[in-house]
Amino acid sequence: MGSEDAEDQREGGRELMTDSEVLLQQVIIGLSNGMIIALIALGYTMVYGIVELINFAHGDLFMLGAFLALTIAGALGLDAVSEGALFSWGILPMFVAAPIFCGGVNWCVDRLAYRPLRNAPRLAPLVSAIGVSFVFLNIGLLWGGLPMEVFNMGQTAAAPKDFPALVSNENLLGESDITLTISQVLVFVITVPLMIGLSVLVRFTRLGKAMRAVAQNPVAARLMGIDVDRVIGATFIIGGALGGVASVVYALYNNTIYFQMGFRVGLDAFTAAVLGGIGNLPGAVLGGLVIGMIRALTDQYIATEWTNVMVFAVLILVLIFRPAGLLGTHAQEKV
Amino acid sequence: MSLLRVDDLTLRFGGLTAVNKLSFEVTPGQIYAIIGPNGAGKTSAFNAITGVYVPACGCVRIRGREAKRPFTRRTLWGFLLVAALTAAGLVLAVNAEPLWEAAITMNYLYQQPFPWAKALQDGLTYLRDVEWKYSAGAAGFGALVGLAGAWSVWRRARCAPDVLAGAGVARTFQNSRLFHQMTVLDNVLVGMDTKLRTRFWHAAFRLPRHRRELRESSRKALEILRFAGLEKEATAVASSLSYGHQRRLEIARALAVEPVILLLDEPAAGMNPTEAAGLMELIRRIRGRGIAVLLIEHHMKVVMGVSDEIAVLEYGNKIAEGKPEAIKIDPKVRAAYLGTAEV
Amino acid sequence: MGARGGIWPAVYARMHWILLGLAALLPAVDLLLPPEFRLADLVRPIFIFAVLGMGLNIVTGFTGLLNLGVAAFMAIGAYTYAIATCDIYPFQLGFWTALPLTIAVGAAAGIILGLPTIRLKGDYLAIVTMGFGEMVQDSLKNLDVITKGTQGINPLPSPTLFGYVFKPETPLPWYYLFLALLAVVVLLTRNLERSRIGRTWASIREDELAATCMGINSMKAKLLAFAIGASFCSMAGGLWGAYLGSSGEPGNYDFQISIIALCIVIVGGMGSVSGVLLGAFVMIGFNAILLTKLTAFLAQHGWTSSDNVFTSPSNWKYMMFGLALILMMRFKPEGLLPSRRVKAELHEYDKDVPRQAGGATT
Repeated sequence: MGSEDAEDQREGGRELMTDSEVLLQQVIIGLSNGMIIALIALGYTMVYGIVELINFAHGDLFMLGAFLALTIAGALGLDAVSEGALFSWGILPMFVAAPIFCGGVNWCVDRLAYRPLRNAPRLAPLVSAIGVSFVFLNIGLLWGGLPMEVFNMGQTAAAPKDFPALVSNENLLGESDITLTISQVLVFVITVPLMIGLSVLVRFTRLGKAMRAVAQNPVAARLMGIDVDRVIGATFIIGGALGGVASVVYALYNNTIYFQMGFRVGLDAFTAAVLGGIGNLPGAVLGGLVIGMIRALTDQYIATEWTNVMVFAVLILVLIFRPAGLLGTHAQEKV
Repeated sequence: MSLLRVDDLTLRFGGLTAVNKLSFEVTPGQIYAIIGPNGAGKTSAFNAITGVYVPACGCVRIRGREAKRPFTRRTLWGFLLVAALTAAGLVLAVNAEPLWEAAITMNYLYQQPFPWAKALQDGLTYLRDVEWKYSAGAAGFGALVGLAGAWSVWRRARCAPDVLAGAGVARTFQNSRLFHQMTVLDNVLVGMDTKLRTRFWHAAFRLPRHRRELRESSRKALEILRFAGLEKEATAVASSLSYGHQRRLEIARALAVEPVILLLDEPAAGMNPTEAAGLMELIRRIRGRGIAVLLIEHHMKVVMGVSDEIAVLEYGNKIAEGKPEAIKIDPKVRAAYLGTAEV
Repeated sequence: MGARGGIWPAVYARMHWILLGLAALLPAVDLLLPPEFRLADLVRPIFIFAVLGMGLNIVTGFTGLLNLGVAAFMAIGAYTYAIATCDIYPFQLGFWTALPLTIAVGAAAGIILGLPTIRLKGDYLAIVTMGFGEMVQDSLKNLDVITKGTQGINPLPSPTLFGYVFKPETPLPWYYLFLALLAVVVLLTRNLERSRIGRTWASIREDELAATCMGINSMKAKLLAFAIGASFCSMAGGLWGAYLGSSGEPGNYDFQISIIALCIVIVGGMGSVSGVLLGAFVMIGFNAILLTKLTAFLAQHGWTSSDNVFTSPSNWKYMMFGLALILMMRFKPEGLLPSRRVKAELHEYDKDVPRQAGGATT
């Protein structure tokens, strides 16, 4: 999105960035981060839409995906891309493996931890999800202690890990003051088609129709011959796979991963889903972009250390006026 | 004089109009029934009247007064207080560190007594000297958000069910919504809750006032249970009651609200003839206490047996209203129930 | 349960007093044990976390609102207590004035958070409280002129009672101080639970709509629960500060604390006062005592090494918490010492036709 605008600015080539250039730069950063957050938020919101469960473990699942990607990088012996190349082909196996892994794990979690609680009061699966999130967190900690080169031979399990720069960080705009890297472009190239694909899936395919039916009324959907458990399972797989893609994109874009990032990034994504109206797919994307922008603008114009506070202040502010989020509607309880 | 007056009540779900410009009046001591085929909008009308659903338009009056949380001087002061506090809070928050430094750190030389007056003065001086636009902006924004937020929260709660209950409208539900895991007595006590005067301090420290009220309220609740024929079950858990008793308990709980009008949503559904007869008798006794009853019912024997006046709904519209005898022979009503072909 | 005869129901109803009584007798056992196992010393954090659990129990167990920001209120309490007592600030209040202040500030914080958010649906409230936890932690870190940033505020003076000074070296007086304060909290909680206020909370937990149709102003009732819960959590924070002699650093009050509090309530039994006491004993006993002792023991014998994460038990802590939550929810959602009502609510749908898994209607 930002690329054409940035292209126009290229002619300037001034020494110091002007105010508008600074703003534009932050917009590019905000949108890139926002798209990643949105991709994770979609995982939260899809699951919520269909089983009314906030899948707390989603953020930590995302973290596990990033660790898998780093393991692959280590196993293949990948290193930062050489100068001139746009990206290393080594990212392909990551983009295949991480979504499959995350989707599969998410399905298993649903099968083992959530499905038995389908008829229990709302609090039960929610608490269970928090439990799963902690199990994942611990797995991430232990994973970081594996004796591999990329994990520093397991010496510093809890420390942040460097992720090799497999995508060039060269500025596509050449001499311009504004930076638009190939990794930022990659974020959009990956996320936008996925989001379009997801909305096509939900709107036009058989599975999508089944999902919407289950979301509206699971009992009626079951009576109509829809295998509700399978549809829910599929939702978990898709949501998890989106998180898996997001994890690879995040790792390639930020070049650092750590085992608590699931909480940090997950909280942002979760906030995005709530901000947009949880259960609402366009809402999640909107929420993600809004949060990405708030973060980038606060970083620039207020202070980096107040960014998190700002995000939640905006969340609370929005919820005062729109208790169901920006695009959400309150389902009225049937009496 | 009307007790309950509903004017032009309209309720929409998306494109569907569930209740369309419904108007009717219930006079004191009347038993008024709303009947109609399934999906005619009876329960929706109930929900709109009791504030469970927010109607698109229309108004509900109890004894001539609109049943809404009134906008009083106190509300206004509350709004202003919230606005002032948010503004002050925001100003303090954005200036927290330098303000602390100016007032506390600069004045505290690790010796007592601390010059409080000077600290306060220095703090105020700081606030005055700091770029005023900054603080004024924070204060203005805070006041605006506080005011708008308070108004928005208040507006949404304006016609909430508790306001209607406070105005004297109590109801039962189509699918029983008892507090299933509480005892029968506790269920009734929840109904009485708004009449109780125990506050936090009394309860936390079990002050005499609280104990006295506990005794009195239990006695009163038992009286209500006796009236509903449930005094033997007082200590039982609600979910262990038989179906018929559960329905009675719902009525007892609603009576504990001390309503002027009681809304019963299909109280006889699923009852056997003996239970239904007992229910009719109970409804009459409720009326005998001076409480009007608004009744939704499919059980025609019950409806025709107890009601003074009947309204018939079809697709959200009122198609007929009158005495039971007149309704029985009304061709439009027959058409609604049996389909037009038969007429 | 009422049908069962004998002495058991009466014992069960007074279980919290029995547990507290056992705790009061515990130091006597110390006389028989070797000095390195001084239980009275180790058990003190359990009392503080039991107070924290009581606070969460009022909100989550009694009223049914999920509060994931308990750590924030604890942090507010600890910092309020530290700022009020520490001699680097001019306030320098004593323990017995600072503690009520801490409680009041906690209640105020609960109301400030609750006023705009208490109407939100359960899941929205969960994220808002979780976000509040992050906000408070970040703010404490950033306002370093006031809070000393990541250093924390220390040293804090020892509490005194009628001229007696509670010194860090003598754990026993502390033990009874905390136990007595916990007993007060238990007494207040039980009184509230059995009063009109507790009944209102239970009715909201069971069926909020029905409760509001009975005229109950659910916003007020929830706000009260929120404020009382927050004030207990804040009190726990103040006690924690007194116990450590320091406010601790903001990072000590992270999401993990909120989860420990949640574990205490879930493992013990939601809505059950005696359950919270037992839950605090199990969880903190496991986390702060067993795990640290085990880690130290293994390291002493050279069975662990600092560069292998797998061998240190404390690196499996999250896994234990997580599994505890999952398994409790799966097999014993009502907890170890359940409240009868909550247990029945949790099993209400077991035999029933499958309730709708979600969607707009319930």
